[in-house]
Amino acid sequence: MRLFRAVTVACAAAMAISACAPGQPADEPAAAGPQQIDWASFRGQTLDYLYFTDGPDEAATRAVIDRFTQETGSTVNLQIVPFADLERTLQGRIGSGTPPHVARVQTWSPYADSLVDLKTYFGPDYPQQFTPGPAAAAQAPDGRMLGAPNDLTMNGPFVNVDAFNRAGIPLPTAQDPWTWDEMVAAATAVQQANGMESAIAIDKSGHRLSTVLSAFGTALIGQDGKEALDPAKAEAALNSLNGLVQSGAILKDFWLEQGSRYRGANEQFLAQQVPVYLSGNWQVGQFAQNATFQWAAVPNACGERCGGFPGGKYLVAFSESSNPALGAAFVEWMNRAEAQRAMSEQSFWLPTRRDLVESGITYPSRTEDMGVFLADVAVTPEDTYAANGSPAFNGSARLFVEEISKLFAGQQDAATTVTAVKTGVAELVEQTS
Amino acid sequence: MTRSWTGPRVAPYLFILPNMLLFGAFTIWPAINGFNISLYDSDNGRTFRYVGTENYAEIVSSAEFWRVARLTVVFVIGLVVLTTVAATALALLLNAQRRGRGALRAAYFVPFLVSPVVVGLIWNLALERQNGLVNTALQAVGLGAPGWLLDGGLAMGVIIVVGLWTQVGFYALIVLAGLQGIDRGLYEAARIDGAGTWQQLRLITLPLLRPTTLVVVILATIHAFQAFDYIYTLTGGGPLGATTLIVQFIYESSFESPIRYGLASAAGVVLFVVVFGVTALNYLVGRRQEAV
Repeated sequence: MRLFRAVTVACAAAMAISACAPGQPADEPAAAGPQQIDWASFRGQTLDYLYFTDGPDEAATRAVIDRFTQETGSTVNLQIVPFADLERTLQGRIGSGTPPHVARVQTWSPYADSLVDLKTYFGPDYPQQFTPGPAAAAQAPDGRMLGAPNDLTMNGPFVNVDAFNRAGIPLPTAQDPWTWDEMVAAATAVQQANGMESAIAIDKSGHRLSTVLSAFGTALIGQDGKEALDPAKAEAALNSLNGLVQSGAILKDFWLEQGSRYRGANEQFLAQQVPVYLSGNWQVGQFAQNATFQWAAVPNACGERCGGFPGGKYLVAFSESSNPALGAAFVEWMNRAEAQRAMSEQSFWLPTRRDLVESGITYPSRTEDMGVFLADVAVTPEDTYAANGSPAFNGSARLFVEEISKLFAGQQDAATTVTAVKTGVAELVEQTS
Repeated sequence: MTRSWTGPRVAPYLFILPNMLLFGAFTIWPAINGFNISLYDSDNGRTFRYVGTENYAEIVSSAEFWRVARLTVVFVIGLVVLTTVAATALALLLNAQRRGRGALRAAYFVPFLVSPVVVGLIWNLALERQNGLVNTALQAVGLGAPGWLLDGGLAMGVIIVVGLWTQVGFYALIVLAGLQGIDRGLYEAARIDGAGTWQQLRLITLPLLRPTTLVVVILATIHAFQAFDYIYTLTGGGPLGATTLIVQFIYESSFESPIRYGLASAAGVVLFVVVFGVTALNYLVGRRQEAV
């Protein structure tokens, strides 16, 4: 009887609180601006900047922040979290009503309802300071600009120049890039000549696989934000990759171990066990520091189209922070030409500002390799920016890795894989729209 | 007649009140709130809409959930059985040993103290197919190089064995405490009556260890159902989902895009009910056997 009473009380309590919704309704879009920012009012204020670091950028960030502090008299509290914890931390802080003023994020869409529309402070022309792809990806369908493109990343291959030289195989140039088949043939020849573990390494990442899809003329998500995989083109891409895996040109173990989690193949490249490594410009800094051999970035192989697949980071300001104007001002300041130039130079980042892309960036070293990535930006198809900016992209990319692993393991064929990816991506688009 | 606040009927409750308040705030309330969230859906973790029992219906009709549930059951049974047997065997050995018993006890206990994430990383390196310590040793004696983390069945075996490695020292200590609580006089009497070692084990040690074994089974079951961190770092739930257990399902539903706290909470509630049910069943069966 006592047990029955206790269970009844517990159920009643649970039912009572279930009447309270756990979250809060979405905010209305911000009113149209522009509003004035009173820079003098920031003196003595403290701004929380939630940040994750890719490596050499932390020191550069601190240096640029010091200049902001000197200029405005405000203090910046740099809060560094691991990238894996970023979304959890932000969602938790937004949910508890204590968001930071500013955060550096890979995608703004999960926080869209809590972000400042930068156009309300900096006018409707503010996006034009940035290059078209990143600028478009920074804006919501309703026209709000919810983040400032802070840096651009571009997928692309690295090659072990020493190994290519030993094999007597020439490298591609911007004027004469490899076709996909030429890249495979060259990589295989160099692997065999040097007795390397595999011919090509690709990070275990749906983002990197999207580069391959793009070369074959298709993408997971289209410019309209809907599922857009072309079955024939995708099947051709998957058959090509699967052929490489089954022949041992790409390591099967690498794709089957550790579930669908992201895994970089940079250690394999640094250990000189693979002549061609498809990754992206963020590796330049660490290769410059750690590689004990000659290496270089080369243009992405062309299939039906050329170019790579873009990524990037955004600085976002939170509307529910204690001072949204300060957050917006910081975002704008950090993306002025001088600040972005300093960050890009020291961190091997690709800039997102039109003026910096036109004038170019002089890096402390490896400028030529960074130039290869920058040149690929110009030939990267526009729809890839939209695909990467979709709220459904991260989930779709993970699903893609899961399904392609089944293909590599021999559990399903390419056609089944394509169907599963198409269905899954369509569901994710539906869930996140 | 008025009762004094410091009287024997009230004072004990006052002493435990602070602890109960903390327990309520940090254990009971989050649990109830977790149930509450399971009645809502959200794809961004902040804006929620009430969906009643839809999340539960989605879980029940989800082939992925049932696949994960089946794997979890295999893992839990494998780990609990192995842990109970190995901990008992280890405790008997430690109990019999005179010299160096303390050092050995500590040695077996050390893996329990290592962070599960570190455990996962260590074993991941050790089991790496080409250059891992295990396969290097196997190759040296001509036994080949199995893909420990590439074959679903092997990987399940690996996570069970690694789980055993981390926990067995802890449970052996519990069993050892149980062994040392057995009256030595019973063994002396048995020896006088001509009972051998095996008979003493079968007729005295194991029956009198039953309450301790019950504790071990219950705790090991709860631990096994909750296993996540070392598995996530060791296999990531792979290969091809062969080691994705229910806690990883909850984690991925909660924290990987699209974020679905409601669905994850519903799975959490289901897990709670299952663990509670299995524990209660163990307890009741154990008590009944004791009474018999």
